[in-house]
Amino acid sequence: MQIDFIAILPEIILTVTALLVLAADLALRGDAKQFVNPLAGLGTVAAIIATVALWGSERVTFGTMYVVDDFAVLFKLLFLGTLLAILAISWRYIAEHRFFQGEYYFLLLTSFIGMLLMPSSRDLIMLFIALETVSVPAFVMVGMRKRDLYSSESALKFFLLGVLAAALMLFGMSMVYGFAGTTDLVGIAAAISGETASVPLLLGSVMLVLVGFGFKISAVPFHFWAPDTYSGAPMPVAAMLAVASKAAGFAGLVVVAFIAFEPVADVWGPMLGVLAVLTMTVGNLIALQQRDLIRLLAYSSVAQAGYILIPFGLARTGPGAAVVNAAAIEAVVFYLIAYAVMNVGAFAVAIAVERRTGLRSIADYAGLSGRSPLLAMGMTVFLLSLGGAPLTVGLWAKFAILEAIAVDITLFGIVLAGFLVVNSVIAFFYYLKVVRTVWMDEAPAGLPQLQPGFNLSAVVVVLMVGTLVLGVLPGLVTDFSSVISIVAAG
Amino acid sequence: MTGHDVVFVLVGLLTAGGAVLTVTSKNLMHAALFFAVTLGGIAGVFLPLAADFLALVQIVVYVGAVAVLFMFGLMLTRAPIGREALDGQNRGLAMAVAGGLFVVLSTLVIGAFGDLPTAEVTGPRIDDLGIAIFADWVLPFEVLSMLLLAALIGAIVLARRETGESGEELTVTRIEMAQDRDPDALEREQAALTSGSGGDGEEHA
Amino acid sequence: MLSEYLPVLLLFGLAVAFAVGSLVVSSLVGPRVPNPTKLAAYESGNIPLADVRNTRFSVKFYMVAMLFLIFDIEVVFIYPWAVVFRELGWFGLGQMALFIGILGVAFVYEIGRGGLEWD
Repeated sequence: MQIDFIAILPEIILTVTALLVLAADLALRGDAKQFVNPLAGLGTVAAIIATVALWGSERVTFGTMYVVDDFAVLFKLLFLGTLLAILAISWRYIAEHRFFQGEYYFLLLTSFIGMLLMPSSRDLIMLFIALETVSVPAFVMVGMRKRDLYSSESALKFFLLGVLAAALMLFGMSMVYGFAGTTDLVGIAAAISGETASVPLLLGSVMLVLVGFGFKISAVPFHFWAPDTYSGAPMPVAAMLAVASKAAGFAGLVVVAFIAFEPVADVWGPMLGVLAVLTMTVGNLIALQQRDLIRLLAYSSVAQAGYILIPFGLARTGPGAAVVNAAAIEAVVFYLIAYAVMNVGAFAVAIAVERRTGLRSIADYAGLSGRSPLLAMGMTVFLLSLGGAPLTVGLWAKFAILEAIAVDITLFGIVLAGFLVVNSVIAFFYYLKVVRTVWMDEAPAGLPQLQPGFNLSAVVVVLMVGTLVLGVLPGLVTDFSSVISIVAAG
Repeated sequence: MTGHDVVFVLVGLLTAGGAVLTVTSKNLMHAALFFAVTLGGIAGVFLPLAADFLALVQIVVYVGAVAVLFMFGLMLTRAPIGREALDGQNRGLAMAVAGGLFVVLSTLVIGAFGDLPTAEVTGPRIDDLGIAIFADWVLPFEVLSMLLLAALIGAIVLARRETGESGEELTVTRIEMAQDRDPDALEREQAALTSGSGGDGEEHA
Repeated sequence: MLSEYLPVLLLFGLAVAFAVGSLVVSSLVGPRVPNPTKLAAYESGNIPLADVRNTRFSVKFYMVAMLFLIFDIEVVFIYPWAVVFRELGWFGLGQMALFIGILGVAFVYEIGRGGLEWD
C-alpha cells in the first residue's frame, strides 16, 4: 500500500513534537521545565510550514480515507494558528500555576493532532477516532487545576456529557453502517440516496451522529457543560475549548453532513436551522445576565455557535443544491476564521488580567483603560468584533452568513436572517456593558497596573491588528472559493 | 426457532437481567458485579452472531479490565459504597427516559429491519479482520496509539499525588479545599495574595 | 458453529454446579458454633480498630489497573495482526512496531515519573 507521507506530514510533525515534549519534561528539572513551551512552539511552526506547502494540491491517501484539499488545509491552518496563540498565552500561566507542564503541552498537542485529522477524514471510524483524540486530552486538561474542586467538578461534567455524546454518536454510526454497509462517507451518500433515505431509523441515526457534533460545538440542548467547564478549566484550556475544539466540531460536522448525509439534507437542514435559532437565542439571553467574564464569554461562544449553524440550516439536496451548499460551507469557514481571531484575543486579555490579580468578574475590569491601555484597547476591539461592529472582521463574518442566505432566498432563510439580526442586537448589550466597564468605570483602589508579558502582548496586538485589517479588507481571506471543492465530492 | 435463536434469547435475557439488576441494586459493589455479568452477557450475544473474536475481546477487555477498574474506582473513593450510597432522587425520570428510549428504538429498529428475510450468519474470520485493520484502517490504528497514550498519561496526571509541580515533591503540607467563587473567597484569596503567606495562596502566586 | 462452544458451556455449568454445590453441602454438613471472636474481621490476630468496609485503597492500585487496561487493548490488536503476520510482511511489522513503540512511551513515562514505585 502506498502512503502519501507528505499529506500527513503536519500530523507527523505534531506527533513527534508531542513525544519530544514528554521526553524533555522527563529530562528537565525545576524552572527549566517551562522551556518545553518554545519546543512545542517550534514544532507548531514546522507543522504550519508543512501545511502551507500542501495548499492548492489535492491529495488522497489511505485508500480514500484521508483527503487533503484546500478545505482541509484551511482548517488545519486555522487550528495550527490557534495552537500557536494558545501556546503563547499558556507559557507564563502554566509555569506560574505549577501545573504538570510537560503533560499539559503533550495533551494539548495530542488534542490538536485530532483536530488536524478531522477536516481530512472521509470515513466514519476515522472521524470518530479524530473526535476522541480531540476530546480525551481535553477532559484531562480541564481537570488540571487539581487543588481546586471547582476544576474537578467542571472536568467531571465535561467528561460525563462528552462520553454520553460520544456513545450516542457511535450508536448512530453503527446504525448508519448497518444501512450503508460501508463507513466510507462517499459510499454512505451513494447507499442512502433513493428510497432508503426515508426510513425513520436511518434519519434517527443521522440525528444521533449530528448530536455528537452538537455537543462538541455546544449547540443548545447540549450546551450545559460549556459555562461550567470554561470557568473551571485553566484559562488557556478554556480558550482552546471555545475556539479550536469548537472549530474541530464544525469541521467534522461539515464533512459528515455535506458529504455522507447530503442525500437527506432536506431533513437535517431545517433541524439544524431550528437548532441554530435556539442556540443563538438561548446563548445570548443567558449571557445578558452573567457577571463573570469567563461565563459571559462561554455563553457568547454558545451564541456564536448558533450563528455558525445558520448556514447548515440552508442545506438542501436535489438539483441546484450544490450552489447553496457551497455558499453555506464558505460562510461557515469564513465565520470560523473570524471567530478564532476575535475569541482567542478576548481570552488572551482575560488571561492577562486574571494572571496578575486572580480576578475575573466583569466588575474587576473597571478602569482597565487606566491600568493597561493595550489590554483595554484589545478587549474593546475583540468584543465589538464578536458583536459584529463595523470596521471589524465580525461584521463581515455575519455578512458572509447573510450572503449565503441570499444565494437562494427562501422563507426559512429569511426567518434565520431575522433571528441573526435580532440576536446581534441583543449581543451588543452585554458586549457593550463590558466595554463600558473597561473605559467608564473607576478602577477600584488597590488593583495593580497590568504589564502583560511579551508573549501575551504579542498575541493581543497581532490578533487586534488581524481583526481590524480583516475588518477593512475582508477580501484577504474571503476569496477561497476553492474550499468548496468538498461539495463536488458529495 | 433454531438453536441459534434459543441461545441468543437465553443470553439476551441474562444480559438484560444483569443490566436491570445493575441499576436497581442498592449496594454499589453488587451493582458493579452485576455490571460485569452484563458485559459478559454481551460477549455471549456476540457468539450466536458469529463474531467470535469480538466476543473474546469483550471478555478480555471489558470483563477482565474495565469491570476491575470500576471496582477499584469504587474502593478508591471516600464515597460510601454500602447500602446508604444510593439516593433515588431522579429514579422516576430516569425510568421514563430509559423506557421511552427503549420503546422508540425498538420500534424504529423493527420498522427498519423487521421484514428482512433471515439468513445464516457467517461472521468475518479473524484473518479478514487482521487484513482490514492493517491494510485499510492503517491511519486510525496508528492514531489510536496516540489516543491511548494520551488517555494513559491523562489518567496518571489525574491520579498522581499532588506535587505542585511535575517531578519533585513539595515539602509544604497543603490542605485541599474548595475555592468557591463567592466574593468572600475572593477577598480571602486577595488577602493571602497580598500578605504572601499561607500554602494555599500559591496557586495565584 | 455454535456447537463448537458446547465444551465451554459444559465447563461453565460445571463451575456453577461446583460453586453452588460446595455452598449447599457445607451449609448442610458443617457444624455452626458462632462466637464474637470468630465473626470478627481477621487482621493478623489484632483486634480490628475501625470499620473495614469504608477504608480507601491506595490510588496506586488504580494506576496499575489503568496500565493493565491500556496494554490489554494493545494485546487485543496483536491477535489479528499475529494471524496475518506473514501476509502483511514488513509493512505490518512496521505498523505494529510504531503502535507498540508509541504505547511504550507511556511505560517509560510512568517509570520515569516513579509511578510504579511502591513507597
